[in-house]
Amino acid sequence: MRNLLNFIARYNNLIVFLILEGIAFSLLATGNSYHNSRLIKGIRGITYGIERKGSDIRKYLQLNEINRALASENSYLKNNIERLIRQSSIESGEIADTMYQQQYNYIVAEVVNNSVNKQKNFITIDKGLRHGITTDMGVVTNQGIAGVIVGTSENYSVAMSLLNIDLKISARLKSNGYFGSLNWDGTDYRQVVLNEIPQHVNVHTGDTVETTGFSAMFPEGVMIGTVAEVGQTGSDFYMVKVQLTEDFRRLRFVNVVGNLIKTERLQLEEEYQ
Amino acid sequence: MINSVIRYGFVSILLIMLQVLFFNNIQFSGYINPYVYIMIILLLPTELPQWVVLVAAFITGLIIDFFSGSPGMHASATVMAAFARPYILGLISPRDGYETGSSLSMANYGIKWFLIYSTSVVFLHHLVLFYLEVFRFDDFFRTFLRVLLSSLFTLAFIFLLEYFRKGKSRTRI
Repeated sequence: MRNLLNFIARYNNLIVFLILEGIAFSLLATGNSYHNSRLIKGIRGITYGIERKGSDIRKYLQLNEINRALASENSYLKNNIERLIRQSSIESGEIADTMYQQQYNYIVAEVVNNSVNKQKNFITIDKGLRHGITTDMGVVTNQGIAGVIVGTSENYSVAMSLLNIDLKISARLKSNGYFGSLNWDGTDYRQVVLNEIPQHVNVHTGDTVETTGFSAMFPEGVMIGTVAEVGQTGSDFYMVKVQLTEDFRRLRFVNVVGNLIKTERLQLEEEYQ
Repeated sequence: MINSVIRYGFVSILLIMLQVLFFNNIQFSGYINPYVYIMIILLLPTELPQWVVLVAAFITGLIIDFFSGSPGMHASATVMAAFARPYILGLISPRDGYETGSSLSMANYGIKWFLIYSTSVVFLHHLVLFYLEVFRFDDFFRTFLRVLLSSLFTLAFIFLLEYFRKGKSRTRI
């Protein structure tokens, strides 16, 4: 016993150090999946208040730009309505009602916290369970995709940003339909990398890259960016650098995409896989 | 004594606020993310027992973690830096040792001493932090470049603060 006490007295700093590092590492191991850390959840409430203040200031400074973006989206949507009205007036009566069943619904949300300078960036938005947001929903803006919801609380949600080295999204080239997996390499926040495009495919700089709709998180054909550079990898695939159309540093308002018939699709897929 | 504790607390809160409200928000480039709050650990007086320093480092790191949504990451890096601090201080101690009651500042021990001291602590802290953030060793050199550039910016800021502190007082913190 005395030896033990002597030992503790002698190495007390080392022991304190090891205990504290142990706590820190266990937090690091369990807490990073975001929603299973209770401790964090309690304290996030306080920090959100402060973040909210900072976000309000930034929002005010960007009002001009937000207005312009909203106006342009407005005119885009008006054009769409015009087109749809014409179509439906011609085709009415010929197509069964179920064809018009809505598949995706959009929930508008405001970004309250966001970063681009880490390797694993997350976006916090001000809508949560109460507003119908669940995990695995896609987050889009009017200029591209932004991320995927990974955790929700009553009033807030956290999305894994597209600028997170752990996120992989299925994407394709619009011109010829070849698809690959898209992820961020952690270097430039304006560029992501599209992998698995075979070498025989013609890829040109400036080609549009869009979502495939394979993952049931994003609708098909949402613009992501344009090809900036086609690189060789040494294997049979190109490494295509994609210039994002969305500037993640200026993310303010986003839309969360809910897929209304997602469960039906997932159940069907599960039966055969 | 009480006076210096209050002063120290004030400086700590100021540094944490600065980190959370300003430095966490400047998104300069993916390579430069200064973490100036480590200065809190740099300035702790030498006569504090080591376990107090470790616990203080842990709490500081945890506070930063809560604000940046990365549980445990800053805490473990800061505790690591605090653990190494007495060894670094021992290696570079001036000829007649550290005076009790004087703060570890540039004004008291000279610019060269402070440069070596702050560089080693900041570099160690950033090294642990950035590799924990990526949590993998591919792109080893890119992460290393991030460590170097960020340390440089953190140090520049710490020197700026030290310079202003120097003008004010010689012995008090």
